[in-house]
Amino acid sequence: MNPPNPTAVEEAPAETPPPRRPSLRLPRDRHALVDNFFRFQSLFGLVAVFLIAIAVSPVRNGENIFLSSGNLANIVRAVSEIGIIAVGMTFVILIGGIDLSVGAVLGLAAVGSATLMVDSGLGILPTVLIVLLIGTAFGATQGAIVARIGIQSFIVTLAGLQAARGIARMWSGGLGIPIAYGDGPQEAPEAFSLLSGSINGVLPVPAVLFIAIGIGALLLLRTTAFARHVYAIGGNEKAARLSGVPVRRVRIAVFAISGLLAALAGIIHAGQLNQGSPNDGSGYELDAIAAVVIGGTSLAGGSGSMGGTIAGALLLGILNNILALNNIDANVQLVVKGLVIVAAAALQKLRPRIS
Amino acid sequence: MTERPLVRMTGIGKRFGGVQACRDIDLTISAGEVHALLGENGAGKSTLINILSGVITDYDGTIEVDGRPVSFAGPVDAQRAGIATIHQELDLVAGLSIAENMFLGREPRTRLGAVDIRRMRRQAADHLRTLGADLDPRRLVGSLRVGEQQLVEIGRALSLDARVLIMDEPTAALADAEVERLFETIAGLRRAGVGIVYISHRMAELEVIADRATVLRNGRLAGTVDPKTASRDEIIQLMVGRSVDALFGEGRNEPGEVLLDVRGFAVTPRRPTPGRTEPAGVDLTVRSGEIVGLAGLMGAGRTELLETLFGAGGSGRRTGEVAIDGRPYHPHGPRAALARGVAFVPEDRRGAGLMLEHSVAENVVLSALSSLTTLGVVRRQAVRRTVAEQLTALAVKAASPAVAAATLSGGNQQKIVFAKQLLTRPRLLLLDEPTRGVDIGAKAEIYRLLHRLADTGMAILLASSELPELLSLCDRVVVLHRGRTVATLPRASATQQAILAAANGDDAKETR
Repeated sequence: MNPPNPTAVEEAPAETPPPRRPSLRLPRDRHALVDNFFRFQSLFGLVAVFLIAIAVSPVRNGENIFLSSGNLANIVRAVSEIGIIAVGMTFVILIGGIDLSVGAVLGLAAVGSATLMVDSGLGILPTVLIVLLIGTAFGATQGAIVARIGIQSFIVTLAGLQAARGIARMWSGGLGIPIAYGDGPQEAPEAFSLLSGSINGVLPVPAVLFIAIGIGALLLLRTTAFARHVYAIGGNEKAARLSGVPVRRVRIAVFAISGLLAALAGIIHAGQLNQGSPNDGSGYELDAIAAVVIGGTSLAGGSGSMGGTIAGALLLGILNNILALNNIDANVQLVVKGLVIVAAAALQKLRPRIS
Repeated sequence: MTERPLVRMTGIGKRFGGVQACRDIDLTISAGEVHALLGENGAGKSTLINILSGVITDYDGTIEVDGRPVSFAGPVDAQRAGIATIHQELDLVAGLSIAENMFLGREPRTRLGAVDIRRMRRQAADHLRTLGADLDPRRLVGSLRVGEQQLVEIGRALSLDARVLIMDEPTAALADAEVERLFETIAGLRRAGVGIVYISHRMAELEVIADRATVLRNGRLAGTVDPKTASRDEIIQLMVGRSVDALFGEGRNEPGEVLLDVRGFAVTPRRPTPGRTEPAGVDLTVRSGEIVGLAGLMGAGRTELLETLFGAGGSGRRTGEVAIDGRPYHPHGPRAALARGVAFVPEDRRGAGLMLEHSVAENVVLSALSSLTTLGVVRRQAVRRTVAEQLTALAVKAASPAVAAATLSGGNQQKIVFAKQLLTRPRLLLLDEPTRGVDIGAKAEIYRLLHRLADTGMAILLASSELPELLSLCDRVVVLHRGRTVATLPRASATQQAILAAANGDDAKETR
């Protein structure tokens, strides 16, 4: 190449960095601290709420009721269904979508579990597989409509909510189907009642399932190419498409995951209540979204974490629990929940943005 | 034109960090004149316009309106002083009616405080009539053609009592008939005593419409001419200067086999999208090891052609032949294109090239993830190594691979987009304005990179609006005009004059 070239090239960058480099360095270290705080915001929040809960918990016979192992296990059990749904919701929100159908799919799955075992006399394994398949297919269909026709997921899943509710009511004849256990006709296998039990009498089965799924999803989101594609679509869909990301396929997969996990939550729901009612899970979608938001995942997509969602779900559970332990009116609980959601979102707004 | 001008700008200068965008520029605008502002990209036109329209408030020099010095606090201030701007991207709300758009933010009120819809419609109709536009003010702006939308913008300027109207490439997105209509409107405004600043790259238009032309080059005043008497060559000479940039090398390898072969290629959309020029008769070849330039005016269809070749273009019936390695090539999506060894660096780096909030590393490996995974799990070690290699190879200046892409300078961001595409090991690289918004140092680095890639046998097709760039980089320059190939100029005969002449459609007069 011609001689004046290299000097010209070396000169130009040398001109610009000096004012930039120090100004970039200094705030970066401070930035890292601040950034980590915001990244693990929900974890800090969880710890804070936990400590507050210990402090304000009623004490009986010198024992802190909140801290009793029975109570702690109960908290995780209580949030397990919402938590599992929220895990699926996190994927959807990360690509910049929303899934309003999860509560209704939960109801559909609960009805399905009860009907298939009680009325059709199926065993546990076929029942579970069929119900999970229904949930997955329902989610995938919604995803396909979003990806192929390009309707916003809010609308598609709002329609899906209505449809799932309707199917559940038609299937059950509009009534809750009680699950009786035994070997006879119209009875479900005894083993299904394990879902309402505990391992060693300490760890509730739904809580264990929630934690296992949460950790699995967390690893999935941290390590796989699929997860990188999810984040990429949420970050800049056009750039993702031009980079060869299979945008449609990932979209459909994400909604399928959400449907699958909602169906699983429905099976657990049926097991815990010993019945499947078509109206089960009403409003669960909003609690799940709340957990995701408290977890610091942006509704705009592209940023967020599974750890945050798990922490967010637990935080909501502790909040409900401690308010209930102190005999605070359920209506007040709702208001407090609302305030926490706003506070979590406001905290995200304070997060320093790079523009 | 000897009387007091409407606007007098004196000694205008503006610095952006280390870049002097313009320096010591004088410009006057008189009542009833159309004053053309010419210059290459980066010559300082937009900076000057942004200063005059109040977008940039911090600059050197003085502006006088009607002989009184002014300093605008913002665009609204400038509008109040009678200076209205019609941007290339029109500032209209598609879901509102014509009348609502014209009076947006200052709707006439009834005594009760409600919007006085009748008065608004009546006044809007008056302005439209003044413009000779036969449009119902109740119509939604979204249902109008681009030319009609432009009239609405002009109408809004009239409703503001604008005396100076700045028009930034108003004809770029217009069809011929609409251009004539616009010229009639401009002639009417001129008769009414409005001073018009007219920015355009189309030489032929200036002869028709402009009274004076001020040419900027590298942020300085290059001269003011009368476009009716000055020859095109003279004006182009002023625009590009005498010295063609000798920044870039020339010693090139012999090109190899034909890699990309496009013959009579056209896309016929079922429903044409306004503002898009689909390929309408493209002929070109790119050999391996060759850099071919794609020249043409705004709206000539360069971007659309590259997008289509990458499988990301508009929908429509494809006619003609496209082949890679002699085998037919009709990608139905970017994935298919990447699988055939075609990569694309889009023009809109921030909108289509990067995930700005994501880390540099994440951006770099996105396209090549499948080669960095085992059973779907990303191999972190491999990613780290690959990213480090790429950042070194392209001399990217980033504090670390973990910082957000948004924190990098334009040139370094562009290198990230390059790195991402190069990781797919393409054989054909499609580039759309690869050095837009990139400083001169990074520009030279990108040029050297392109030479290096071509030397390894990669075929490169590069669209650019910067003629010196095309001339210094390319083995051949293909000129597009309205989606058609109008000229293919080998390096020896490619000159700025020849390219501009072809791009202006001088060889394609028969189209209209």
